[in-house]
Amino acid sequence: MRVLVTGMGGELGTRVAQLLEERSDVREIVGFDFVPPRRRLRRAEFRRIDPRNRERVVEFVTEYAPEVVAHFGVYEPASRMSLQAAVERTEFCTVGALGAAARTGALEYVVSRSGLEVYGRRSSRASVPDESVPPEPATPYGTSLLQVETITAGIGRRHGIPVSSLRYAPVVGSHVPSPLGRLLRLPFVPVPAFADPPFSLLHPEDAAVAMVTAITRRHDGPLNIVGSGAATPFQAARLGGRIPVPILGTMWGWAARGTELGGAAIAPHVVELLRFGRTGSGARAIDALGLPRFQSTQDVLRELFEWADVVPILTAREEVA
Amino acid sequence: MARDFGFDADRTGGVEALPKALRRRISGHYPVDPFGLDPQLCDLVAPAFGVFVRVRVDHPERIPATGPAALVSNRGLGVGEPAALGVAMRQYAQRRLRVVGAPIVPVLGAVSRRLGAVSSSAEDLGSALAAGHLVAVPLTPTWLRAGAGLPPLALVQAMMPYPVLPVSVRPGGPFHTPIVWDVRIGLPITLGRTYTPGDPLGAAELGEAVRAAVGGLLAGDEADEIAPSSTALHDW
Repeated sequence: MRVLVTGMGGELGTRVAQLLEERSDVREIVGFDFVPPRRRLRRAEFRRIDPRNRERVVEFVTEYAPEVVAHFGVYEPASRMSLQAAVERTEFCTVGALGAAARTGALEYVVSRSGLEVYGRRSSRASVPDESVPPEPATPYGTSLLQVETITAGIGRRHGIPVSSLRYAPVVGSHVPSPLGRLLRLPFVPVPAFADPPFSLLHPEDAAVAMVTAITRRHDGPLNIVGSGAATPFQAARLGGRIPVPILGTMWGWAARGTELGGAAIAPHVVELLRFGRTGSGARAIDALGLPRFQSTQDVLRELFEWADVVPILTAREEVA
Repeated sequence: MARDFGFDADRTGGVEALPKALRRRISGHYPVDPFGLDPQLCDLVAPAFGVFVRVRVDHPERIPATGPAALVSNRGLGVGEPAALGVAMRQYAQRRLRVVGAPIVPVLGAVSRRLGAVSSSAEDLGSALAAGHLVAVPLTPTWLRAGAGLPPLALVQAMMPYPVLPVSVRPGGPFHTPIVWDVRIGLPITLGRTYTPGDPLGAAELGEAVRAAVGGLLAGDEADEIAPSSTALHDW
């Protein structure tokens, strides 16, 4: 099969390309992104294209005519760029790449990166939502992810092909640019004053393996991809030897400014996670993909805290590779 | 089941010495599960519950040793029955019990979730069972513990793909005082016809069957005679 990996320059996109290279049933792999891949790729072909340059994206995808699209061109705010730039790039990449791939007529399968952020605030009714819970995003990133899912599902309906969206728990790891990961490694970590809600994490390797398995199995429909267990903001901060700073509801705006000065800009979806928690039921994915249980949230945290300290960068104002 | 820091989200553990337990709390070396359960805190307070809530269990061998199951029980006003059932599962099966019905109040809700409560919603009940937990689903409370309440249809729909066991919990002390609680475990409920999970009619029939079984256990019938004749679990 011929596979297109959008967002190949990111940690997950690069790792997925590496895993696809090891498979004999994958004849060709191409990808594009606005930054180069983070590891050496042996077979995959990479083209440096900014997703906002729609003409080049469409031209590249049309020329390649992929049979499978692994859509990682989904950018998290405050990860490597500001909120507006992330939402804009995600939209351009999704519409440009998926639209062009669908028009070639060769498309057989699409799998998109999504996140538990689509479920919105962790409610008392569905505190551990499974895939049957209707998405109700409450942040710009959640809305952006739901839009990607909607476009992906629309392509599936229109062309009669299986499509999937993998709703990842926050992916945190030593090489993944994550606003949550940076925040937890600050010396002082803001935590809710009157709550300590659980959140789950996902190891980058599990995220990549789940994507490749979804491709090989051609799974149809959304799946929650969640590391086992959970942590709370207070417990996670203490596990890393950090000092938790209780924040009242009205003070989160100030807390966000403070953490940005400390080197970790936080977007609304990160504040939502800290205040209301973020977990999901990953039981269906384990069954559907035939994978062993994913690494636990506590293991992901332990690996995170073994990494070096935060280096201040102004991610909200500048774009960094 | 995940094990973090030596704690299991499903199996109960021993009690740690207080200084070691406090060091764990301060250093963050304790796990939490996605529903908010705090196994270390549960193991810390369990001895106190065991002193104040004493139980006698009839047919403890029917409690599944592993895997998901819904224990449908009667309930009066208050938390006596869920607490007794939790203590019974801990003492006789060494398993943690998730109790449906976490209050939606800021502090009380968070504390009850730390001790194993989950929301009274089909979504969370389904997620808890899918994760392999032992879940207590109370029937609607009855005044003066007069019998089995009504089965909530949405919750019964969520538990259809899993083993369902009727359970009665009633005060067993002199003059029906809760000095000790009598917990009786019935046989798994099965339906004569095959339904797909979530089928409303199937859920209603299962609800009626489990309500009748709980009522029979409360009335003092022999536990062996209460469940329908087939001892097989659901065959769908």
